[in-house]
Amino acid sequence: MPPFFFYLMTLATFAVIYGVLVIGLNIHWGYTGILDFMYIAFVAVGGYVTALLGLPPAQPAFGETYVLGFNWSFFPALLVGGLAAALLALVTGLLSFRRLRSDYFSIVTVAISLILWTVAGNATPLVNGWDGITGVPQPLADVLNLDFNGYGLFYLGLCSVILLLVYLFAERLYASPFGRVLRCVREDETVAQGLGKNVFTLRLRAFVIGAFIAGIGGGLLVTYVDAFNPSAWATPETFIIWAALLLGGGANNRGAMLGAVLVPVLFTEATRFLPNFYSPEFVNASRYIVVGILLILTVRFSPQGLIAERRLRISQRKLLPAAISMRGPERVAPDLTGPDAVSSLLSPERTSVEDTEAHSGK
Amino acid sequence: MQHAVTTTTSLPSTYLLEVQHLVKAFGGLRAVDDCSLTVARGSIVGLIGPNGAGKSTVANLITGFLRADAGRVLFNGADIARLPIHRIAQRGLTRTFQITRELERMTVTENLLAAPHHQLGESFWLGLLSTPAVRRQEEENLQRALRLLRDFDLYDLHDEYAANLSGGQRRLLELARVVMTQPTLLLLDEPFAGINPVLCARLGEAIEALSRAQGITFLIIEHNLAMVERLCSSVIVMALGRVIAEGSMTELRENPAVVDAYLGEG
Repeated sequence: MPPFFFYLMTLATFAVIYGVLVIGLNIHWGYTGILDFMYIAFVAVGGYVTALLGLPPAQPAFGETYVLGFNWSFFPALLVGGLAAALLALVTGLLSFRRLRSDYFSIVTVAISLILWTVAGNATPLVNGWDGITGVPQPLADVLNLDFNGYGLFYLGLCSVILLLVYLFAERLYASPFGRVLRCVREDETVAQGLGKNVFTLRLRAFVIGAFIAGIGGGLLVTYVDAFNPSAWATPETFIIWAALLLGGGANNRGAMLGAVLVPVLFTEATRFLPNFYSPEFVNASRYIVVGILLILTVRFSPQGLIAERRLRISQRKLLPAAISMRGPERVAPDLTGPDAVSSLLSPERTSVEDTEAHSGK
Repeated sequence: MQHAVTTTTSLPSTYLLEVQHLVKAFGGLRAVDDCSLTVARGSIVGLIGPNGAGKSTVANLITGFLRADAGRVLFNGADIARLPIHRIAQRGLTRTFQITRELERMTVTENLLAAPHHQLGESFWLGLLSTPAVRRQEEENLQRALRLLRDFDLYDLHDEYAANLSGGQRRLLELARVVMTQPTLLLLDEPFAGINPVLCARLGEAIEALSRAQGITFLIIEHNLAMVERLCSSVIVMALGRVIAEGSMTELRENPAVVDAYLGEG
C-alpha cells in the first residue's frame, strides 16, 4: 500500500471514530440542550478503561504503573469502558442537574474535566500519570494474522460498523417519543415541567446515554492510537468536538458526522502542513485558533450548521381523512353539519369546538 | 409550613381548587399576602386586579413555579403546595404562560405530541424498541392532536415549526398543547393579551367548548374585562396581594372597593 493511501486510511479511521464521538455529544447538546464541557473526559474514561482492561498487569519494574490490567478481550473491555463513562455521567448528573441551571452546570463540567485531568496526570499509580499507557492490545490481531496495512483496513471496517450502529441508534432515539421529550427539554425546560415532564431524570438519562457513546468512541480511539496520555484529552479538546458538532449541524447526526470529517480531521490535519514559523508551539496552538475562527464564522453565517436539523413531518397517510385545507386554491366550503365539521376562522359562520370535540369521543 | 398533613378530608369537595392563606414575600414585598380563594369544579373563574396585585404570583404558587412562604393549595382535596411542578401537572393542574412559550424548533404537531402524560414511548427502551403498544399510543395521540389542530384552526400548519407561528396562533397552540395533557384545571395567564379581536372571540369559544365538552375547569387571569364578563360566571378581584371581592362582573361593578382598586369610575 502506498504511503499516501495509508495516510488516507488513517484519516478515514480518525474521521469514523470522531463520528461516533460527535454523535454522542449531539445527544447531549443537539437533542437535550445540555451544555457539556467535560465531554472529552467521558472519552478519556472510556479509553482508559477499555485499554486498561485489555492490557496485561502493570510491571512497575519497567517503570509503568496502572490499575486493572486484566488481559480482557476487546469487546467486553469496550463495553465496560462505555459503562464507566456512563457511570461518571450518572454521578455528575446526580450531583449537578437538580440544583444548577444549565450555564452554571457547564462551568461545573469544565471544573470536573480539569480535576479528572489533573488527577490522572499526577496520581501515577492510577493510569501511569503524564507518561500515559502504551501497547494497548489490538482486537482480534492474533486471530486475523493480517499485515500492518491489512489490519488497518480491518480496524477501519470495525469502527465503521460501530459508527453505523451508533448512527442508527441515535436516529431512532431522535424520532422516538423519548427523543421528542428530550427535545422538548432542550427547547424550553419550563414548558416541559409544566407539561408534567421530570426534567431532572430526562437530562440525566440523556447525559448517561451520550456519555456511553463517548466511552465507546474513546475505547476505539485509544485502541487505534495504541497510546494514551493526559495531553490527548486536555480540557480544550472538548471544544474541538463541539466545533465539529456546531459546524456540521447540531441535532442532526449526518451533520455531526460531516463535522467529524471537517473539524478534527481535515482542519486540524491541515495545520500540520503549516510552515514551521515563529515557534513550534505556535503551529500546535494554531489548530485551536483555526477552530475558533471556524466556530465564529459558523455562528455568524450559518447558526444551524452545514446540515440543519431534520423536520419530522407527519406521513401523508396519517393525516385526517376529511381534513379540509383552509388555504390555497383547493379550498372547500366547510361542511358545517357533518360529523367532521370544520371550524374556520375565515368563514363568518363557525361551528364551535364543542361539536368536533363531542365527535372525537371525548 | 406548619401543615404537615397533605390530605385533609375524604369528602369530595365542590371546590376543585382551594387556596388557603397563601403568603409569598420577595424580600420586604409581600406580593401575596394571606390570599384565599376557591374554584368550583367545572366553572370558569376569572382572576382580575391591577398590575402588581399578585395575580401571576398566585398562579406561580398554585402551579409550583414558586414556593409559598405559608398557606396551602388544595387540589382535589390534597395539598400540592410542596410538590414539584411536573407532579402538579401530572395531577391535572396545568397552566399557560403570560408570554407564550413554544417548543420553537419542533413542529406544531410535535408540540402537541410531546404533551400527554405517561407516554409509554418516553421510556428509553420502549421508545427505542417501538413496541406495538407504543405505536398504538402514538397513533391515538396523533389523531387526537390533529383533531385539536383542526378545531383550533392550526391544521394547515401541522408541519410548520412553532417558531414560525404568529402571536395569536401561538396562543392557540399553547392552549391546544395543554389540552393534550387532559387536565382537570387549566390556569390561563392572560390568554387574550396581544391578540386581535377575531382571534379573541375564537379563543373564547374554544375555552367555552372545552369547559362544556371536556368538563375542564378554568381559572383565567385576564385584563380584557369584556372577555372575562363573557366567559366567567364568577370573578375574583385581587389587590395588594389579597382577594378583595368575588362575584359576577355586574356585582363587581357596583362594589366600591373594586371600583376604587381596579375598575375606576365610569
